[in-house]
Amino acid sequence: MSGFAIFARKEAVEIPRTWRIWVLPTILLFFAITGPVMARFTPEIVTAFAGDQLGGILIPPSTYLDSYSGWIKNLSQIGLFALIIIYGGIVSAEAKSGTAVLVLTKPVSRASFIVAKVVVQSAFVTLLVAAGTLVTWGLTLIVFGTAPAGPLWSSALVWLVFGILFVAIMTLLSALIDSTSGAAGAGLGVYVLLSIAGIWKPLGDYSPAGLPGQSAALATGAQVDVLWSALTALLLAVVVVALAARVLDRKDL
Amino acid sequence: MTAAIETTGLTKIYGDKLALDSVDLLVEEGSVFGFLGANGAGKTTMLRLLTGLTQPTSGSMKIVGQNVETAGNAVRAQIGVLPDVPGFYDWMTAGEFLRFAGGLFGIEQKILAARSQLLLDQAGLGDVTARIGGFSRGMKQRLGIAQALINAPRLLLLDEPTSALDPVGRKDILDMIAALRGRTTVFFSTHILGDVERVCDTVAILDHGRIVARAPIHELKARYGRQKVFVEVTSGADALAEEVRRQVWANAVSTGSTGPEPTAGDSTGGTIEITVCDVAAARRDIPALVAARGLGLTRFEAGEMGLEEVFVELVGQVQR
Repeated sequence: MSGFAIFARKEAVEIPRTWRIWVLPTILLFFAITGPVMARFTPEIVTAFAGDQLGGILIPPSTYLDSYSGWIKNLSQIGLFALIIIYGGIVSAEAKSGTAVLVLTKPVSRASFIVAKVVVQSAFVTLLVAAGTLVTWGLTLIVFGTAPAGPLWSSALVWLVFGILFVAIMTLLSALIDSTSGAAGAGLGVYVLLSIAGIWKPLGDYSPAGLPGQSAALATGAQVDVLWSALTALLLAVVVVALAARVLDRKDL
Repeated sequence: MTAAIETTGLTKIYGDKLALDSVDLLVEEGSVFGFLGANGAGKTTMLRLLTGLTQPTSGSMKIVGQNVETAGNAVRAQIGVLPDVPGFYDWMTAGEFLRFAGGLFGIEQKILAARSQLLLDQAGLGDVTARIGGFSRGMKQRLGIAQALINAPRLLLLDEPTSALDPVGRKDILDMIAALRGRTTVFFSTHILGDVERVCDTVAILDHGRIVARAPIHELKARYGRQKVFVEVTSGADALAEEVRRQVWANAVSTGSTGPEPTAGDSTGGTIEITVCDVAAARRDIPALVAARGLGLTRFEAGEMGLEEVFVELVGQVQR
């Protein structure tokens, strides 16, 4: 196996043998399990708590689409914030602990080091999103009695593209910024900027900034063209990873 | 024969700090080379440059005949590196880390398994199944040397491998390095003169980023291998110092200032610090001198000259 493959295998094995196996999976699994149940019983809960304060306003019964929307909303907020915080040290933690020095004084290029991390962590995020979506799908079917696959899986796939873009962005920020919390803060800043940019329609339609909104719209059963946003996001992710490799290549370790 | 290391005008500047100043260095293949310098002299910077972890401001460097900056993996495939504080994946076991390190060199699985076990046994870690996170500093250093040897390197670069180790750990590491003589070239940075004297053939001394001396170790020992003796008496320290000064083995004698404080409650006692050229004679004669004067001897200790003192001997006249 090449140095890249060996290092990638290390990244993969590290996940189940460290805290990484607990944080993001626990968060996503929690929302995947509670989401459909909460969606199903939200009208009853609101009615029970509000009593006669609703003044005769009728809350419509929830549908499977509410369950789907809840899952995507949780992915886009808590899930993404957790991802940003967790990957704030994806590069800098190895530089700080000295493990990067032991690896990079062996026949492994710095580009391989970066790419292996992005590939494995993106695969991990993909696995988690797929597992969470599967749980949401199954529980929605149980709770609501119907669960068409299209809206849920298409919206989750669109969010996944956004999540992978953020894995790449956090890799770049972590290569640039030595502090884990500093990189996480910068990552949150990028998220806020993208959210604001997405409000402007041209960017919302044709750039990665539109992905969260498009994902949410798909979850409601709407028809949305996501091609340009997804393509530009993937292209941007590649550019960001190349930049991260270049930054690390010029960095004193 | 190809030089293991060859640097020409190697310079590194961090901001406004000159870390290495036009270093020309040649390390012959097969030698155990000591790279001496006080903390902050530039030793780690030199190691970081040689391993490609940082780029030089100017100058060039070759390892086993290949340019470090351009050869990349071709150079890294031929070296083994132990940083001053090696960072391991704490969740791995020692065996897992060696197999991981060997895998990065593309070593075939069967060879790697056998070599890993051999190196673990040599490092005294053959039976250790605990994760690296639970290792002592000494165990990590021994594992550090083992991982640096996993590719049977032509050049082994060790950055202060014995610093911060207890005497047993230090001995273990020095024994491992000494055992490598004739098998590979070892470039070994340290600020501990005793370690260099024990295992190295040749030494270079780095001071404020400049090489101020380079000599075979036997030559250095012959020139500067004097030792110090500390004597503390209950009274009559000045008179005893005068008598010691007249002895042929005494190069320099001073009282009071550099040794420990005089024994409490005795104003006439004190410490005498003697630089000697024949420590055996000093050990034999000093107790006799103290006894002849009827003095009480509270401390009698022989120690090696510190690096700073050797520096004074070697480079005191060098103008900066």
